[in-house]
Amino acid sequence: MEYLWSATHMNDGSVHTDDASISGARNGVPAATVRQVHDALSGSREIAYTTVMTVLDRLAKKGAVEQLRDGRAYLYRPAVTRDELTAELMHEALGTVDGADRASALVRFIDTASPDDAAALRTALSELEERSGS
Amino acid sequence: MNGFVPNVATPVVLAGLALVLAGPAPAWLARAHWPRRVPRAALVLWQALALAALLAALGAGLSVATLAVLEERPNAGVLVLYGAALAVTLTVLARLLWSAHTLGYSLRARRRRHRELIDILGRIDGRAPGAHVLDASPAFAYCVPGVHTRLVVSSSALETLTDDEIRAVLEHERAHARARHDLVLEGFAALRNAFPRLVRSRAAFDSVAALVELLADDAARRRAGALPLGRALTRLAGTPVPAEALGAGGVSALARIQRLAEPPAPSYRVLATATYVAATALVVVPTLTVAAPWLSQLSAYLP
Repeated sequence: MEYLWSATHMNDGSVHTDDASISGARNGVPAATVRQVHDALSGSREIAYTTVMTVLDRLAKKGAVEQLRDGRAYLYRPAVTRDELTAELMHEALGTVDGADRASALVRFIDTASPDDAAALRTALSELEERSGS
Repeated sequence: MNGFVPNVATPVVLAGLALVLAGPAPAWLARAHWPRRVPRAALVLWQALALAALLAALGAGLSVATLAVLEERPNAGVLVLYGAALAVTLTVLARLLWSAHTLGYSLRARRRRHRELIDILGRIDGRAPGAHVLDASPAFAYCVPGVHTRLVVSSSALETLTDDEIRAVLEHERAHARARHDLVLEGFAALRNAFPRLVRSRAAFDSVAALVELLADDAARRRAGALPLGRALTRLAGTPVPAEALGAGGVSALARIQRLAEPPAPSYRVLATATYVAATALVVVPTLTVAAPWLSQLSAYLP
């Protein structure tokens, strides 16, 4: 197969799979049935057929996969490439989104461009290390 | 109708108060350094200041309206003046509500989409428990706030940081998520956006954003230690930050590291208490001295 389907379990260990991660090229990717996706996934993990079906349906609603009708069955294929999704995510993560309100949707660990040079940071840190007694 | 003289002083006092609370007071508070010692109390003070300013502005407009209604022989010029004052008040209120609505709507949509992308692209890594790891080159960490929080760390950050530093970073982000700092920031962003561009000031929002960072630092310091947090700040300070943060007030990584060398927040009990008292007084005193007499006067006049 030229593409790979993989599902990630939520990190809290909950039983349901919240989403699936998809990588593959949009062009030339053959559409797959739920059964085929399930077969590809169950090689690497235990996952229920119904879970795959639910996740694919949800991803189709979110526009991450395309849903094609083939007779009575549905066929699925990635609607966007992983690279496209990554680019979109990085836009928000790095704050390069143009917004009229210019408000950040995220709360970052460091959110202010510091004019401080590395030397000043090191001085402050060594002061902290001294006070912490190490 | 005898015995009642419409009290012109009420709207004048309230309007003056609103102007002071919207202009010089935030400017002074933003410049002061002591709020950083008691971030929690200072955050309450900022919210009290915003609430008091808003109440004073609305009170000024509404008391003008009662003047117009109670005037025995209304003169056209005065009525126009009163009407204009009321219109300004209602415009302020409408702008604020609209600003809060549009901002909240767009933020929630962007966060929902971002959560979806993280769930699709992120992976789990034992070194960052509870977080989603993105394979990306700048070293960064953030949380997507809301009811369904996501903690995010880039793979580059994981490579840069030691385990206890990662823990400090995650505790910092968890503190933001747990205390819903995003709601405070959203409120002040809505308030800022409600003002026309010409008179818009970043002072309040930037100060509140800085205080929120310090609060999260305090939580991370308690749970993971000052030193790992300081080291993580030093290592991640070179991260490219969003364009909108350039030249912003906020609080620099340097200031945060220097603050970690100072005694922790509980050492400033008196200052914190005084700040809480001031915050309470800001809201209570104008209500009791100006608004309450006006309302009782009004109710005495009405049948």
